[in-house]
Amino acid sequence: MQEIKIFHAAIKDIPAMALKIKAENKKIIGHLCSYTPEEIIHAAGFHPFRLFSSKSDIVLAENHLQAYCCSLVRGVLEDSLSGKLDFIDGTVFPHTCDSIQRLSDIWRMNKKYGFFADVILPVKLNTDSARTYMIDVLTKFKKEVETAAETKITDDDLNASIKTFNLIRKNLSAIYALQSQKPGIIKGSDLYALVKGSMIMDKNEVADLLPLIADNLEKMDTPETEGKRIVVSGSICDSPDIYTAIEDAGGIVVGDDLCTGQRWFDGEIDEKNTNPVNAIADRLMTRIICPAKHKGTTLRGENIVSLAKENRADGVIFILLKFCDPHAFDYPWLKDFLEKEGIKTMLIEIDDQQQSSGQLSTRFETFIHMI
Amino acid sequence: MIYAGIDIGSNTAKAALIKNNKLFGTHVISTGYNPLKAGIKVFKEVLEKIDILKRNVTAIVSTGYGRATVDFADKTMTEIICHGTGAHFMNSKVRGVIDIGGQDSKAILLDKNGNIENFAMNDKCAAGTGRFLEVMAHALEVNLDQLGDFANKADSPSKISSICTVFAESEVISMIAAQHKRENIIAGIHESAAARIAILAAKVKIKEPVIMTGGVAKNKAMIAALKKRLGCEITAGKLSQENGAIGAAVLASRL
Repeated sequence: MQEIKIFHAAIKDIPAMALKIKAENKKIIGHLCSYTPEEIIHAAGFHPFRLFSSKSDIVLAENHLQAYCCSLVRGVLEDSLSGKLDFIDGTVFPHTCDSIQRLSDIWRMNKKYGFFADVILPVKLNTDSARTYMIDVLTKFKKEVETAAETKITDDDLNASIKTFNLIRKNLSAIYALQSQKPGIIKGSDLYALVKGSMIMDKNEVADLLPLIADNLEKMDTPETEGKRIVVSGSICDSPDIYTAIEDAGGIVVGDDLCTGQRWFDGEIDEKNTNPVNAIADRLMTRIICPAKHKGTTLRGENIVSLAKENRADGVIFILLKFCDPHAFDYPWLKDFLEKEGIKTMLIEIDDQQQSSGQLSTRFETFIHMI
Repeated sequence: MIYAGIDIGSNTAKAALIKNNKLFGTHVISTGYNPLKAGIKVFKEVLEKIDILKRNVTAIVSTGYGRATVDFADKTMTEIICHGTGAHFMNSKVRGVIDIGGQDSKAILLDKNGNIENFAMNDKCAAGTGRFLEVMAHALEVNLDQLGDFANKADSPSKISSICTVFAESEVISMIAAQHKRENIIAGIHESAAARIAILAAKVKIKEPVIMTGGVAKNKAMIAALKKRLGCEITAGKLSQENGAIGAAVLASRL
């Protein structure tokens, strides 16, 4: 499909894509988390841009980070220090895990990109006071962005951005649902390209392209290739090889609980709310949570079980970045929830820089044979 | 009918034949640089050993890290599935399999019918694998097959605290410099490897009876260290190294 190729091209040469955006006089604001209030950045005329590691060897970042920091943090810092991110005009660090919070400090002290903001979002999301606090933080952030952009972000601006992001979310959800209904209709590596592309490409372009892809997929028949239905869960999965390795081993990814997947596009913002900042806050309060947030002790377990059941998963593969402690601490708990329901699980721990290996294929093949 | 299994491991290539559901022959060679060549060679030699022709073999399953290179196999299966199947074929009561190969180690839990219920595999690093023992044997100037004998003569095993093979090697070199008895260092190495394997065994909640397979099962001190660490009986058959190839041959008979 021609439209999918545009996403592949964008993620293949990210600096080239970024230069294209800059040529339109847009400033690029990098960020590292799916909780970033991207609509506010977008409404100011900036381009919100998810940072991924270019996966080059880690040399410069080693001097700043301890051995127990994850490969995403190392990789992105390496890119920054080696000048690979010189095209960005600012960075936003939402409160996520400890490593990303401290990366924020190292970043600020070692590299100047112009705009910089720490967005200290609430961790606990199930109280009224957390919502009030969330709205305050977003309002403060909006002011910071307005100062940087030397413009006033009107409600109309925000509503327009909300509409664009909602369109992206709605269509990615539709594409995921189609893959679950008609497994194998889209390759895992294509699905990966769509989500990653949506995170970095021009949002209006993405919002135009995704409905075309969803329409095309809607018209397609279920492919004959059979495979075990797999749900993947974890932090980020920035390696198309992993999807391909799962497919080669006889599996089809029919759903995910990933920061580079459903967690990013889950839930739409209420367009009828007359206060757009409140509306953004409400989505952040209600979307599917990650382990760096809290909303009751059982919610993540219940979420993964219902995700697996809704997608009729034969098994769940946890893909965690090594040294990612929020996910690692949640893993045994989530695994127990699934096993109580008779759903088999497997854990792999990867480095962001690592490509798929023979050992990984052995594990996938055995697991898929076993379930 | 005759079925063949070919297991291309990182160190050795193994072939097994089964006929009428009984083991018919096995063969082991070293893998060398070219896994396909090793596959062709070990298959040719096992046929010569038993004196049968290739055309009499009904189906072939390949396994091991080099399984995909064996282009004349009818199907590939992972070594985990093959070791589980092989262990069940050799002893249908077996519920736990510990397979320590050249570059990886696995704990496999089987159900009563020999199906894989759960498995755990070491991470990318060499801790608790055959390679770990090889590196240590080299540092201690001992032949690999003598390691077990040395370990059995230890009076007070040295404590190796590093998990990483590279760090453990430098720890061992420091012990050599501090004039620890070679036997004690070697016993310590086995205990350290056993500790790594115990983590895998605990992950799958291994059940008895447990058998050990893979090349390292030839090392009696390793079995003893594992028994002590896991607190259960562990046996190893004479064909522990060939077990994956045997399992592959059994799976070939089911194609």
